[in-house]
Amino acid sequence: MIKFDKFTLENGLRFIVHRDETTPMAAVNILYNIGAKDENPEKTGFAHLFEHLMFGGSVNIPNYDAPLQRVGGDNNAWTNNDITNYYLTVPKDNLETAFWLESDRMLSLAFSEKSLEVQKNVVIEEFKQRYFNQPYGDVWLYLRPLAYKQHPYQWPTIGKSIDHIENASLEDVKSFFFHHYAPNNAVVVVSGNIEIEEVKALAQKWFAPIEKREIAEKAIPQESEQTEFRSMHLERDVPFDAIYMAFHMGKRLDEDFYIIDLISDILSNGQSSRIFQSLVKDQNLFSSIDAYLTGDFDPGLFLITGKLSDGVSMEEAEQAIWTELNKMKESKVSEYELQKVKNKIESSLVFSEISYLNKAMNLATYEILGDANIINTEVLLYRKVNIEDILNASAKLFRKENCSTLYYHSKK
Amino acid sequence: MNPTQRNIAPAFKTIDSIDILPSEKQLLSNNIPIHIINGGSQDVLKIEFIFEAGIWHQNSPLVASMANSMLNEGTTNYTASELAEKIDFYGAYIGFSTGKHDASISLYTLTKHIKDTLKITEDIIKNSTFPQKEFQTILLNKKQKYQINHQKTNVLAKDKFNELVYGSNHPYANTYDIGVFDSLDYKSVKEFYQKHYTPNNCKIIIAGKINQEILDLLEALFGSNKWPLQTNLPKKEYNLRATNKRRAFVEKKDAVQSSIRIGRPIFNKTHKDYTAMQLLNLVLGGYFGSRLMQNIREDKGYTYGINSFMISHLNAGHFAIVTEVGKDVCRNAIREIFKEIKTLREERIPEEELDLVKNYISGEMLRNLDSPFALSESLKGNLAFGFDNSYYQKFISELKKISPDQITKLANTYLQEKDLYLIVCGSEDSTNYDS
Repeated sequence: MIKFDKFTLENGLRFIVHRDETTPMAAVNILYNIGAKDENPEKTGFAHLFEHLMFGGSVNIPNYDAPLQRVGGDNNAWTNNDITNYYLTVPKDNLETAFWLESDRMLSLAFSEKSLEVQKNVVIEEFKQRYFNQPYGDVWLYLRPLAYKQHPYQWPTIGKSIDHIENASLEDVKSFFFHHYAPNNAVVVVSGNIEIEEVKALAQKWFAPIEKREIAEKAIPQESEQTEFRSMHLERDVPFDAIYMAFHMGKRLDEDFYIIDLISDILSNGQSSRIFQSLVKDQNLFSSIDAYLTGDFDPGLFLITGKLSDGVSMEEAEQAIWTELNKMKESKVSEYELQKVKNKIESSLVFSEISYLNKAMNLATYEILGDANIINTEVLLYRKVNIEDILNASAKLFRKENCSTLYYHSKK
Repeated sequence: MNPTQRNIAPAFKTIDSIDILPSEKQLLSNNIPIHIINGGSQDVLKIEFIFEAGIWHQNSPLVASMANSMLNEGTTNYTASELAEKIDFYGAYIGFSTGKHDASISLYTLTKHIKDTLKITEDIIKNSTFPQKEFQTILLNKKQKYQINHQKTNVLAKDKFNELVYGSNHPYANTYDIGVFDSLDYKSVKEFYQKHYTPNNCKIIIAGKINQEILDLLEALFGSNKWPLQTNLPKKEYNLRATNKRRAFVEKKDAVQSSIRIGRPIFNKTHKDYTAMQLLNLVLGGYFGSRLMQNIREDKGYTYGINSFMISHLNAGHFAIVTEVGKDVCRNAIREIFKEIKTLREERIPEEELDLVKNYISGEMLRNLDSPFALSESLKGNLAFGFDNSYYQKFISELKKISPDQITKLANTYLQEKDLYLIVCGSEDSTNYDS
């Protein structure tokens, strides 16, 4: 059970405060409700590029990082298709520095031409490093548009292509900031060795003066149901064949999410999981294989990704995966097996509560999804999943016409 | 609270000492040392069993890591899949790792399941049978992983660097070619396990909320004389063979970025200059505000990231700068890296910058040493050198005294361009950056 307090400033900025006195540190996590799915299809990668620009100086503070480092703090940020999340940790006595820095960049950025030019280059190098200079690195550039035809999840957070990043202008940057970065479009979580009254006073002092902004309406095209099997073949200079299968599933907060999360655990969480035991250990068809959920806010994907063992054909490997998926549809899992994956979920929840920063990030995500307290209630939704739920959800999920498969061939 | 002045930084406190959860040492009745870190808020435990069974002790490549991986693959009581079932059912996790000197088994478990999960861990450590079929599977999967990793420019550059700095047969280089996977001898791996995973070669670190019952359980399972000792193993010695060749290019066709690795052999953390050298490293490339990051990334945009670090092995160490840059800017990046190093040799570092890194690293320690699990990881590293976590207290007090002149002096002693190795891996040889 994670206890927290919540209050909202007049400008709409929500604060969640969680006290954890086992650490000498404090974390401040600010989540902005803006991600790659909110981008213009002709200007993709912008939310992520913008995240980089948030470190290029704000209206009153020319350098974000150095003042934080000077007080023993550290920070980072990430962007995904739904949200942009900034987080920092400081020794608890230096919490005000965090409020000073974060409130100023919520107020306004410096909007420097130089910072934009440099960060475009940095992001282009990031693009190359993650997508082109790694074996199998480009897979998501193809799998997403194969699985999504309407929804903006069809492009990765980094963007569809390097051109889109090159073309970003300072006007785009300014407009993006004032339409999406605002107190009424963000959640702040403060966790660690802090007092609620101190946080309230600091929030009032540093964030209350920021004015509410007009937030751009979200008009996101939703994906229509997939009705036939889709496939694609790529050939690359990699040592082994690989296969990537994507199945459409529901939203993050759908009840099915918890059922399907348990399905992915039955299939591939831990060494005793089905596909690891069967396809890696018993049959030696794959050197590694994984099943997991994207966990996107809008309807997301269930994925199976595997690297084939040397000498195994794509057909044999694919058939073996389907055999395992069909088992999930056709026969009930045992009480024991269901209990096992539930035990793993409960255990990982306990372990995840060790880190004050982790708790801050999770609280922020749940709050933006609708209610921070989901952090405490979700376990009940996992607990009530039964054997029929697993069978029914598998039947709905693992249909050929709901599947997009990318065959990644080794050029030998 | 002062009025809101947005262009002036709020007042702050510096960190003068760190309150670290202490560790206590006890002995099991067969003399296995247990280091106990008692604390935290959750009812969870991490118990790590550390054996002197790392790469240093093997007779040929892969033996130590295969022996460690095979612990999970079957015992006299259970098959690999039965072991996996049990551990997963309790929501526990057992991690295996092989280092340069040590190899370890780490149990992460909910305290309420400790009796069952520790019993399984005992079985794994004492009674592993190394089934042939599992051996072949693990070896083939490791081989595929190796092949995929060796497509990466940063891995290729790292291997070449280690070869030049330590010598290709030195355990600290730990480089080997693909043929090793096919010639690995099953028997030597099993023998390695039998000889090295013994009570007189073991230490234990336990972290979490600990009570006497848990310690009694450890004694019952691991303290007994039924776990036979082994005769002492011969000590292994290796000579460091750094080459005189200071530059190397590794070709990776069609790579859109080049990996750069620049560095040299250097002392380890027992040396008197270690703390000051850590500071010098920070200033150069050890944090986001470092000179290299600010120049190569934040000013020039040549890379997504650049950093430098020191690796402290028991008998040696190295310093390295690593980055991946666009292939067309590779020469420029190398020139800028050497320019930053030259500046450190020739210009006194401003007091303000030195204070900043001192504060930053103090905060970093506070951040990294705040939970029993994190402390157990640090303790493992310190114990290898004969220290405990009071090392950090000493580090912080030494830190305060280091002057800008000391930094300049160190840069002149250890960061001369002629002494630094330069490796580039990519589609184009850019090691001739200066011609």
